[in-house]
Amino acid sequence: MTITTASPLASIARPRRRASMRQWTGILYVAPAMALVIVFFVVPLIFTVWMSLHNWPLIGQPSWIGLGNYTRMFSDARFFSALGFTAYYTVIATIAIFALAFPLALFVERQRTGVGFYRTVFFMPVVVGLATASLLWVWLANVDAGVFSSILRWFGITGRAANILATFDSAFALIIVMVVWKIVGFTMIILLTGLQAIPADLTEAARIDGANAWQRFTKLTLPLMRRTLALAFILSITGSVLAFDQFYIMTSGGPQNRMISVVYYIFNQSFVSFQLGYGSALSIALLGILVTLSVVQLRLLRVGDER
Amino acid sequence: MLKKLIGTVSLATILMAQGAMAQETINMWVRTGIGTAFTTLADSYNASHENQIQLTEVPFSELVQKYATAIAGGQAPDALSLDLIYTPSFAAAGQLEDLTDWVQALPYYNGLAPSHVALGTYEGRNYGLPLLVETSIFAWNKDLYAEAGLDPEKAPTSWDEIKANAEKIRALGGDKYGFYFSGGSCGGCMIFTFAPTIWGSGADILSEDGKTATLDTPQARAAVENYRFMVENDLIPAGAETDNGVNFMSFSNGNIGQQSIGAFGMGSIINDNPDLNFGVTLIPGSEGGVSSFAGGDNIVVTKGTPRLDAVKEFIEYAYSAEGQEVLAKSGALPSRLDIAEQTLASMDPRFQVAVDAIEVAKTPYTLLFNDLINSANSPWAIFTNAAIFGGDVDGAFAAAQSEMQSIIDNAP
Repeated sequence: MTITTASPLASIARPRRRASMRQWTGILYVAPAMALVIVFFVVPLIFTVWMSLHNWPLIGQPSWIGLGNYTRMFSDARFFSALGFTAYYTVIATIAIFALAFPLALFVERQRTGVGFYRTVFFMPVVVGLATASLLWVWLANVDAGVFSSILRWFGITGRAANILATFDSAFALIIVMVVWKIVGFTMIILLTGLQAIPADLTEAARIDGANAWQRFTKLTLPLMRRTLALAFILSITGSVLAFDQFYIMTSGGPQNRMISVVYYIFNQSFVSFQLGYGSALSIALLGILVTLSVVQLRLLRVGDER
Repeated sequence: MLKKLIGTVSLATILMAQGAMAQETINMWVRTGIGTAFTTLADSYNASHENQIQLTEVPFSELVQKYATAIAGGQAPDALSLDLIYTPSFAAAGQLEDLTDWVQALPYYNGLAPSHVALGTYEGRNYGLPLLVETSIFAWNKDLYAEAGLDPEKAPTSWDEIKANAEKIRALGGDKYGFYFSGGSCGGCMIFTFAPTIWGSGADILSEDGKTATLDTPQARAAVENYRFMVENDLIPAGAETDNGVNFMSFSNGNIGQQSIGAFGMGSIINDNPDLNFGVTLIPGSEGGVSSFAGGDNIVVTKGTPRLDAVKEFIEYAYSAEGQEVLAKSGALPSRLDIAEQTLASMDPRFQVAVDAIEVAKTPYTLLFNDLINSANSPWAIFTNAAIFGGDVDGAFAAAQSEMQSIIDNAP
């Protein structure tokens, strides 16, 4: 009897201890990751918020100004024009990337001869750094030494040597082409994994039911790729909103300051005008904008409430 | 055992510290685009001294922010060759070592280049000392002049003459152009070469106290028209419109008939490109007169550096007769005027033109130099590109004038 009364107590106590042991082991396992996130994300973020509440020169002593940097933002015409340009760039770049990445993904999905070769070729520019790619394209577009200007002249499109980077429209078009060349392979790979996750028998069934290719694409492929699309969209839009290298390297924000993206403006405020506090406040505002954009996208694509 | 270990370690530390005192490595930065004067000076110092200089070259457009961030991060070099127009901002922020007592005791203190000393002085104390002195001057290619049927020995004295000569040189065809400038929003290039054409005729882009933007003047309009004429008539390579300073020394390729360059650039051409047959003169103003930009670098010492004595030894070497000659051979004008004649005696006579330019040269004194003029997105940089290449000159003047004023008014 004594044994039977004692054993339930013991059996209750032991799993509890085991559960807490297991919790500690779990915490131990995630600790390195947590440490990385805290040291490289949470602490800098808190510090940025702290800095944004100060008039913080790059050299010299900071002084507390409360929300002064945030109120200043609303009357800063240059910040709003940077926002406008970034939005314009994001829309055009995202459309251009997807318009090319989707056909490419459909093209390399089927098993055909040489598909490995095509996949490699389309993906190759992705492994080039963005700054390197920008530098490369600046020289390709150079009016005296570059190849583009000579090609345009051969085909009689321009009379004398054309300076592509000198006007907004041609320079912007060049940057979009460069970015698409650089990024499209990555988006293609993401879309490819989504396409390959669609079971072949579903497509088969739809075909037997008499759905044509367009119907199969819109009614079957697209809905089943919702999660993949959401991932690709968020990566592409976040990347475009944070664009900086290509404008800094290829046009120095020109012609006539018309290509200053938000990150470029933050860089200028922080490291050209030496106003780190205002730069931090702008960064926090940009973070807010990005979080909002991502939440809206997830809602629109209804990711998360599938079950 | 432990005591023994501690003893050995501390003995080793003391020995190492003494070793470091005997032979030190000074970390120094220098910006790119100012020729080879400083690097050759450092090389010749290293060859003749026990202390060694470790030189890091930093792109000229990034030196200021890199130095400012390095100070904030505790990674600053012991000393650096700093564009003299930035000395006031760094001194005002309390980041530079006060050199007053030491430098004023030097016997030749009163012979140091006065404009550099003035810009290196903040509230009566010396924080920056003249290291590299240069002025901007107008250069013409004598071979191209002769080829175009012009008198190769006759220096142009007005912009009408420069424009007419440019047309004749361009008429040679091919890659030969009459004129060149880095017009792709390179604020630093344009304040150096284009602003003197405004100053020469008596106007300025900022008021004397630096509180008012005075960009829109008849002299500035005329200066813009001169450049526009040459752009519209294809006398300038198309690349000029987007050259952010990378090709500033295009004149040295031998296909450019005329260009405003600096003394450093002239030194580089003479050393590296001795076959280029060119003459130099003062830059004419758009409506008469002559002017120049007095630029160059001050040497400044980061506050609290442990290698102050070694840096002082280097500065004294730079001011010695030998150091001055090494600098001059690479195109830096004498920073010690008391021995300038002696330094220049054996030099190329064209350097005398650059020295003469000091008399008429200007240097804007403003704490907002980066914001107003030097950064690629500054109103001055944008203005020079928009007014010379754009379709709306009036708009370019109005936009730059109001933008400059608003930056001055909103300065913290």
